Amino acid sequence: MDSGAYLFLSLICYAVGAVHVLVHVITRRRLLTTLTIASTLLGFAFHTAALSQRWTEAGHFPSTGLHDGASLLAWGTVLVFLLVYLSTRVDALGLFAYPFTFVLVLMASLSPEGPPPDSVLRGLFMPVHTVLAVFGYGALFAAFTMGVLYLIQENELRSRSPRRFYYMIPSLERLDTIGGRSVIGGFAFLTLAILTGFHWNMSLNGRYWTGDPKEWAALAAWVIYVVQITARFRAGWGGRRAAWLGIAGFGIVVFTFAWATLVPSVAAAAR
Amino acid sequence: MIVVVGLSHQTAPLEIREALAFPKERLGEALAKVREETGLTEAMILSTCNRVEIYGRAPEPRAETVGEFLARYHDQPIDDLEKYLYRHEGDAAVRHAFRVAASLESMVLGESQILGQVKRAYEAAEEAGSLGSVLNALKNRTYGAAKRARTETAIGRNAVSVSHVAVELARKIFGDLKDRAVLLVGAGKMSEVAARQMVKDGARAAVLGGRTLEKAEQLAATLGGRSAPLEALRTEIEKVDVVISGTGASGLVVHRADVEAAQAARRHRPLFLIDIAVPRDIEPSAGKVQGVFLYDIDDLKSVSDANLRVRQKEAASAESIVDQEIRGFLDWRHSLDVVPLLVELRGRAEEIRRGEIEKARRRLGPLTPEQEKAVDALTSGIVNKLLHSPTVRLKEMAQNGHHEEYVGLIRKLFGL
Repeated sequence: MDSGAYLFLSLICYAVGAVHVLVHVITRRRLLTTLTIASTLLGFAFHTAALSQRWTEAGHFPSTGLHDGASLLAWGTVLVFLLVYLSTRVDALGLFAYPFTFVLVLMASLSPEGPPPDSVLRGLFMPVHTVLAVFGYGALFAAFTMGVLYLIQENELRSRSPRRFYYMIPSLERLDTIGGRSVIGGFAFLTLAILTGFHWNMSLNGRYWTGDPKEWAALAAWVIYVVQITARFRAGWGGRRAAWLGIAGFGIVVFTFAWATLVPSVAAAAR
Repeated sequence: MIVVVGLSHQTAPLEIREALAFPKERLGEALAKVREETGLTEAMILSTCNRVEIYGRAPEPRAETVGEFLARYHDQPIDDLEKYLYRHEGDAAVRHAFRVAASLESMVLGESQILGQVKRAYEAAEEAGSLGSVLNALKNRTYGAAKRARTETAIGRNAVSVSHVAVELARKIFGDLKDRAVLLVGAGKMSEVAARQMVKDGARAAVLGGRTLEKAEQLAATLGGRSAPLEALRTEIEKVDVVISGTGASGLVVHRADVEAAQAARRHRPLFLIDIAVPRDIEPSAGKVQGVFLYDIDDLKSVSDANLRVRQKEAASAESIVDQEIRGFLDWRHSLDVVPLLVELRGRAEEIRRGEIEKARRRLGPLTPEQEKAVDALTSGIVNKLLHSPTVRLKEMAQNGHHEEYVGLIRKLFGL
């Protein structure tokens, strides 16, 4: 089978997850939990196979262009979701992770495979650097989700007449803890990704900083991590304020990434 | 036949339920009496504050006599009781037994105590030697159905009593209550119930006394915590995560300033204030302080109402699970009805077969072992093939409950 077929199979498996979230929200029931986790694991296996197959087919690590980029980002998100679920049994992350993953993989399936990148992008540095960065962003996404869930749950608790989310979302303490751990984990991965990136830039261009949009996004994310960690562990910012930071952090990264990609001059000037 | 006779919160007021209750220590004697006086071969008495019911097995319909026994035993005229009593026999009795155990008939839908009460009732009946195969089977199947209804639906999942709602909210804020600290201001019953549950979950408790410290000390001792005078309020709030206030004071006890000071010291970590006093103990605007969740008694009630609505929604799924289980049990019971007939039928056929082989042997003389075997296989084959279809059909009809007339017919046809 070619990588597209594997990717399609994983899309079907993830669709089960997305449908589950819908059913879950509508019926407040955990009808499909075992089934969904099984199907997500299966989807993840297909997805991994798709990436590996695509690597072989393309002859380089598939991380550039919409097709490969979206697929890889989805893969990292699923991995982070599975890690959080398996270590904490909190499935509320799925409320966001399932639809997000589904949309990313759908985008990847519908978009054509990109042209091969410059030969300089081949080599082992690329996968190491990219996977580290994907984990960093995946963790940032987890912190974002935890922040949103925290605010929803807090709102439910303050409303004094709980609606469906009250029953579904775990305790504030739990969300705060997982959010904090995501921040620490993400910070570690992103720092390593940036260091490998600098090293790589240096060996390719003789410079540490080239002004590529990805560099700006990475730097923004890194600064946000530093702010969050300082706020949380030095100033004792937990709960609501940490939740807002988590949301703002992810927002800034998405914005930076979009801005830097959409304003071609930024990237063009650097080339 | 299974019978149920009794009354419940749905049919009788509290005074009547009280008058007909069976004290635990007299259950054994009452069970012996009911069997002796009404001809029940098996019996069980379920007596809780919301229902008094006698379950029994009788060779023929017995509901009338059991009702009379209930009145006689408690020295009540049966005519006065008549309007409160319900009597179920056969399938209806089975249905009732399942629904009661699954808490579908409870005053608080989905409450969990009823199954324990049913269990104890069966245990008492077991001790009194009044359980036989039928009630035993009913016991096992009702437990199974009740457990399925609880685990597969959310009928019993969210708290509906005010104290338990408070505990559940605390869990929604703090997750695990292990090593959390709870402060009781005033030593009321409702605070005690909530605090006891939190201590069971691993929280530490402290009690602030009002006018007399003595009561606070006693409560602190039973909760395994410490006590302090009310004047220490401000410093005590700083040390805890949950405050349950339920004094009888006419004015405010916990002021916004106290909470603000405490939150500043606690770096605005979540603080859960529960005000179960009427008039209120905690200044309402204290709920606006950062990190504070303030619930008064009305708020707790509104959460309880929301939880009850969830239970009512879940009740439909629970009902269908219980219905499934009831059908399973009834099918099994009905299939038992035809077992004696089938045994007789087989016995008669076997008798005829052996007789015919004997006759044939006399005519044929001695047979070789192979021939012996062949004759045996031939005759058994004919018997089995002939009886196969009636056996299957009878079992099917029994499961649908349409077997009774056929049982008589078959007896006539085969001369059984």
